[in-house]
Amino acid sequence: MLRSPTPALPAHTPDGGPVDSMPVVNLGLIDYLVMVFFFVTVLGVGWALRRATRTSTDFFLSGRSLPPWVTGLAFLSANLGAQEVIGMGASGAKYGIATSHFYWVGAIPAMVFVGLFMMPFYYGSRARSVPEYLKLRFDEKTRTLNAVSFAAMTIFSSGISMYALGKLLNLLLGWSMDVSIVVSAAVVLLYVTSGGLTSAIYNEVLQFFLIVFGFAPMVWIGLREVGGWDGLQARLADAAVARGMEANAYTSAWSTMGSPADNPIGVEWFGLVMGLGVVLSFGYWCTDFLVVQRAMAANSMTAARRTPLIAAVPKMFFPILVILPGMIALALTATAGPEGGMIPAKLDGAGAVLMDATGRPVLDYDLATPMMLVRLFPSGLLGLGLTALMASFMAGMAGNVTAFNTVWTYDIYQAHIRKGASDAHYLWMGRAATVGGIVLSVAAAYAATAFNNIMDLLQLVFAFVNAPLFATFALGMFWRRATGHGAFWGLVAGTTGAALHHGLSLAVGATPGIKGGFFGVLRTYPSELGQTFWTAIVAFFGCLVMTVVVSMFTRPRPDEELRGLVHSLTVRPADEALPWIRRPWVLAVAILAMTLALNLMFI
Amino acid sequence: MSTLTGIDIRYPIGGLFTALGLLIGGYGIATAGDAAVYARLDGLNVNLWWGIVMLAFGLLCLGLARRSEATPTVRPSGESAEGRAIEQSETRRGLERNP
Repeated sequence: MLRSPTPALPAHTPDGGPVDSMPVVNLGLIDYLVMVFFFVTVLGVGWALRRATRTSTDFFLSGRSLPPWVTGLAFLSANLGAQEVIGMGASGAKYGIATSHFYWVGAIPAMVFVGLFMMPFYYGSRARSVPEYLKLRFDEKTRTLNAVSFAAMTIFSSGISMYALGKLLNLLLGWSMDVSIVVSAAVVLLYVTSGGLTSAIYNEVLQFFLIVFGFAPMVWIGLREVGGWDGLQARLADAAVARGMEANAYTSAWSTMGSPADNPIGVEWFGLVMGLGVVLSFGYWCTDFLVVQRAMAANSMTAARRTPLIAAVPKMFFPILVILPGMIALALTATAGPEGGMIPAKLDGAGAVLMDATGRPVLDYDLATPMMLVRLFPSGLLGLGLTALMASFMAGMAGNVTAFNTVWTYDIYQAHIRKGASDAHYLWMGRAATVGGIVLSVAAAYAATAFNNIMDLLQLVFAFVNAPLFATFALGMFWRRATGHGAFWGLVAGTTGAALHHGLSLAVGATPGIKGGFFGVLRTYPSELGQTFWTAIVAFFGCLVMTVVVSMFTRPRPDEELRGLVHSLTVRPADEALPWIRRPWVLAVAILAMTLALNLMFI
Repeated sequence: MSTLTGIDIRYPIGGLFTALGLLIGGYGIATAGDAAVYARLDGLNVNLWWGIVMLAFGLLCLGLARRSEATPTVRPSGESAEGRAIEQSETRRGLERNP
């Protein structure tokens, strides 16, 4: 999930190889039984849906026939890859409650926006993918640019997901990485090729419930151990003071955001709201086909619009399941005795504990949530928690694979390689692309093992490509004068601007290279996250300005061709036919009010 | 619109959680009083309690699926009068282009 606006998950050990130490925990028969039950159900769902998948629309878009609560939970679950569960736990331990900004600022507003204002164009235009919308609205070259970069990204994301899962299971359970990678790839392959998107979505809903039921007891047991929320606050206050910050640095989300120096994230409120809340968040939730595809599978326009809104409700409470464990782990580490805390320290090549400049051990934050699982759960629940962890990785993988096979088949194969073939042929191609996509993902997983730096570089390039996307879509949907040439050159300019900004800036303490500064250092940021947010801001405005300028000098398409694609030329969705409680905007207002309340509670 | 999607998703969810509830809850009963298993929890039998919660959730899903079997929630909009009305009104207002 490297496109999600979340902190990157460093998916490798310092020496680059897989970890081969003693397993942290041994499983009992009961734990294996829980896993077997889950895998049998997942494969059974795929098998049962096989007969219902007859046309390419069934395979790629679930026949546009699913109810909104199903597509809504899948919308949420498809984003729950490695990054979400492990990365958010790691950030919770590193930054505390401020990590919730990735939800309350960096997700909910954008999810509301895509449901209310953008879904009418995605769903109503009958585009079969997000790149295809770009083709309908702009032109072939803009679509192809987006389709090719998106397809490449999905492969690397699912490869990294597989690699991270393999590495984690190797560390925790001593399982062979090869076996983890091959087995998880085979399971996803079987259920996606048999039932297509419906199968992926059904399993995502299943995985959603598994994650909730697998993680909830961990949070509860953890809170019990630190003495509830009050006990957690007291322990984290000690930890914050010991690190030279205000006592509330880990437990209040906003009051330390005035200056980058006062909070663990190292970002001020403007960079946070603009960079994360506007550019990165809208760029991901509103334009990424991985999530939008779930809404496109809904059974009506209203259902498609309600999909991200329904997803937003559990999303706003997800910090309890994914961030709180990290905070509890930090509390159990900071106040632990000499026997060591919940989060293990990083080791150097010789096996000695790495120390930072202040003589404190460097913690391996990525292990915060996994360690909570294996340390707090007795056998029985341990199997459930590990199954939930695997489910989250597989949901992320399957989400990428289904988005890949659709974009490959419709936007690359049908558009450029073989036009006008029969529907049966494209259905066959979809299944073949699933196999091909998974084989390539496995290759990417092994590439991640062998060449860490190449993977870091690719993540960086993808970040540059994604940062300007929302400017293109916003202008396309809300400004009828925007042209195909404008959109294409805007994207190129935005990506270039991102690369330039990154190449000319550096975070404090980072060495020039992949972290930035490769063209010289004009600007220094207090943290890498701050640098990332400002790179996104530069990309967005670069794209916006270039698209407007080029559009003014090129010929716009006639209005008749833009009906259903641009806001001012499309009949507004009228919700009057629905009972008021089911109207999308009523739900949207309730969600925004609840999100505001959450922000105020943890201010 | 298209072919029937086939199965109500609440069946596999209900089935899985009923099975997991029985499995983990049963393990909780089998290990009741085993201080070694629940050492970190001061003896609280979390397997038993969480097994009961999962069993209840599983049975609820199965019950809901069973109840709505006569009118499946996942169905093509063209099959019911309400669905056709929604499709027609959306087409009329220009929200959907007819395929």
